[in-house]
Amino acid sequence: MSIDFWINVAVLAGIYGIFALGLQLNAGFTGLLNFGQAGFMAIGAYTVGLLVVNFGWSLWLALIAGIVLAVVAAVAVGISSLRLRADHFAIATIAFGEIVRYVLQNAQFSGGNQGVLGFDQEWRVFTDWLLGKLAIIGLDRYTQLPLFIVVWIVFAVMLIAISALQRTPWGRVLRGIREDEDATAALGKDIFAYKLQSLALSAALAAIAGFFVALNVSYLYPSVFDPTFTFFGYAIIVLGGYASYAGVAIGSLIFWALLEGTRLMDTALSAGQQASLRFVIVGLFLILLSRWRPQGILGNHEEMRVRS
Amino acid sequence: MSAPNLLFAGLVLVFSVLAVAFGIVPATQATLNGFAAGAYLGLGALGLTVVLGVLKLVNFAQGDLLVAGVYFTILFGWLGLPLPLAMLVAMLATGVLALITEKLVWKPLRRAGASHIQLFLSAIGLALVLRFSIQFVAGSQVRTLGANIVSSVTLGPLRFGTLQAAALATGLLAMVLVGLGLRFTNIGKEMRAFADNRALAEVSGIDTARIIDYTWFASGFLAALAGILYATSIGSFNPNFGVTLLLSLFAATMLGGIGNAYGALIGGLVIGLSQEWSTLLFNARWKPAVGFVLLILILLLMPQGIFGKALRRS
Amino acid sequence: MNATTDIILDVRDAAKSFDGLRAVAGATFRVVRGSITALIGPNGAGKTTMFDLLSGFARPDAGSIILSGHDITGKAPHRIARFGLVRTFQLTRVLAGMSVIDNMLLAAADQPGEKLTSLLAGPARARAAEAAARERAFDLLETFGLKAKLTDYAGALSGGQRKLLEIARALMTNPSIVLLDEPMAGVNPTLGRSILDHIEALRKEHGTTFLFVEHDMDVVMTRSDHVIVMAQGQVIADGTPADIRSDAKVIAAYLGGGPVESTAP
Repeated sequence: MSIDFWINVAVLAGIYGIFALGLQLNAGFTGLLNFGQAGFMAIGAYTVGLLVVNFGWSLWLALIAGIVLAVVAAVAVGISSLRLRADHFAIATIAFGEIVRYVLQNAQFSGGNQGVLGFDQEWRVFTDWLLGKLAIIGLDRYTQLPLFIVVWIVFAVMLIAISALQRTPWGRVLRGIREDEDATAALGKDIFAYKLQSLALSAALAAIAGFFVALNVSYLYPSVFDPTFTFFGYAIIVLGGYASYAGVAIGSLIFWALLEGTRLMDTALSAGQQASLRFVIVGLFLILLSRWRPQGILGNHEEMRVRS
Repeated sequence: MSAPNLLFAGLVLVFSVLAVAFGIVPATQATLNGFAAGAYLGLGALGLTVVLGVLKLVNFAQGDLLVAGVYFTILFGWLGLPLPLAMLVAMLATGVLALITEKLVWKPLRRAGASHIQLFLSAIGLALVLRFSIQFVAGSQVRTLGANIVSSVTLGPLRFGTLQAAALATGLLAMVLVGLGLRFTNIGKEMRAFADNRALAEVSGIDTARIIDYTWFASGFLAALAGILYATSIGSFNPNFGVTLLLSLFAATMLGGIGNAYGALIGGLVIGLSQEWSTLLFNARWKPAVGFVLLILILLLMPQGIFGKALRRS
Repeated sequence: MNATTDIILDVRDAAKSFDGLRAVAGATFRVVRGSITALIGPNGAGKTTMFDLLSGFARPDAGSIILSGHDITGKAPHRIARFGLVRTFQLTRVLAGMSVIDNMLLAAADQPGEKLTSLLAGPARARAAEAAARERAFDLLETFGLKAKLTDYAGALSGGQRKLLEIARALMTNPSIVLLDEPMAGVNPTLGRSILDHIEALRKEHGTTFLFVEHDMDVVMTRSDHVIVMAQGQVIADGTPADIRSDAKVIAAYLGGGPVESTAP
């Protein structure tokens, strides 16, 4: 198997690592079941694509706009739904994800199922420049290497930043909310404001992940941002462990290695069957890990035990 | 005025306005379509609400149980059973499938004292396994149940597919039967009592394990019925129809109030009518979006549902 | 109560219904600053609902609640807490998955590091506040005998220790009034007495006001300076323990009609 294959696995692991960092912040550290993360990712990616293609924006400026718009969407979703009970909030976020998918598929502006194409010239200029540098050490054969490098630098920076943030008094309030929001409110914390911040930050991370997804496939269409991808993020979290940011990196690597690894199996399966099989595997991950190893690989078993 | 009366009056009012605006025939046609949709949404939501009420479990796999019912029908038809019999066997099989999920997934998780998030993710995992196992075996192409979907019956100026009419009649009949069963049979009464207040039902000596088993079986059985009604009244489908319907099922559940079985049936009717009526106003492809919007509105404006009561905190 | 007495909490005609059931039906009472006041009454008298109303966990249907001159009627729990009212819960609610010290530090008021903007603008200030809070937390944990458990998960503590932690955590907010919902329930008598001793000491040192729900009449009669009696959602008597002991309405409210002391378990 080629190195290109594994570079691609690492690219996916990095992108979905960024994506799942946000979910970890929400689910693992705030107790918020955000099931609409793919919707925020789609908003980020489509904003970038449409601003570049239709309005001639610079790719980098459009990235910032994409993050801002995803955050605005998160604030809108949050203000309307964060006061709901936990399970109602989860359902509301699923509805949000479905609405985004539905609009992208059916609306004029998003190109429907034809999607959006041709937004990544600036990225390709950058890629060529980086490949030129890589040629010096003879690595310019691997065309995905620039994306890999950029994604993992961004992922590492985000991971370190959010871990640091988690250790501050701000992060402590989030954990308090996760443990018991009434008790935390009784101590004078405005839990709504914190949940909103948690959701908004998570949406920003989703938008960044969406940007890289867009660069990776160089073509935006609704099924790339299917709401089901939110649950890829959750599979990564249960694999790596709740309430562990380092676990996100490890979980994402293992998850994508296993999932992409299924492509290597020499089977008589059709492409459609292989795709279905991948989703079955993700589903089994969620069921089996929730049952047998809810703390994941790096999650804290003691913490899980005392909480239940 | 009580909530149900108010609701009924509201629906009649909307119908009248639509009849004036778009003509009596299109409005009636849309209303009948709405009843057909309401039947499958209501029956599908019933399983969701009872499981939610009894086990405090948001069963994200409910939509995929509808799909399982339809594909079981195809399977049994392919094995040589005549269509009506295949449907019945498929409903039983889906009931058993739901029961198996209880034994294999839910009961062990409850025993282990699983947290909210473990339950949620398991439900989603189960939904993915169901949906994509079906896709793996049956493919994702659009199918029909193999019956004649072109023949139609006319009733004055109204026109129906024969199957659609059968689905409508069956659905409404099933709703009445289920309603009567919940009202008058022992198991129905116990289930409602259990869904309404589990602690109280337990101390009053109801056999918990038995109720839970019945609940799952009924949930799967009715989900399959709902799926089959969907497949017959729409005509064609693919394995993704369950997940598309799921949010409408949630909307019906929330509207009726969590754990309220009658509420789910009525909630389903309201959602079904709203979606079909919306086709008079917008392009029909936005029909699912009407379900999403209603769900969000219900969550925001009346999270206890029409018949729900305010819950007390702490 | 004469006009010069300093009133910290003034409740007038507070009412709250659930499902048409009047849990609190027009209750009126006052709590004197620096007092230890007991709230008693038979089961279903509306004591816990009253606590919910006072702390913002339920919104009153009618009436008003004034805390140190601020109208807190129907305000959100966190805003009421910032006015200096902190509560504990009937079923102890420690933050199980957090360490004992984190439980305490979370409760510290005025921590600039809890706001993203001030955290990023002045991390040094956040660190200073954190150090100060840590000192206070050590003192309180010392007082409550939890110093040795500093890094343990709160969820790993015993029932009695959790109760102590919850009270210590409440005090960490620098409250002017603390609402304790059955602080003695599920705690062994020795520990219970030491909780009461701490409360008396804190009142003496800081002038903190305590309002507590309690069923043990011996405790109520010997440890409080003021008793409020609720029955069927209303305040039926209000006075010193001695007044309450001889109040005919109170005796009637506690079924059996005997002297109040005998109802203690």
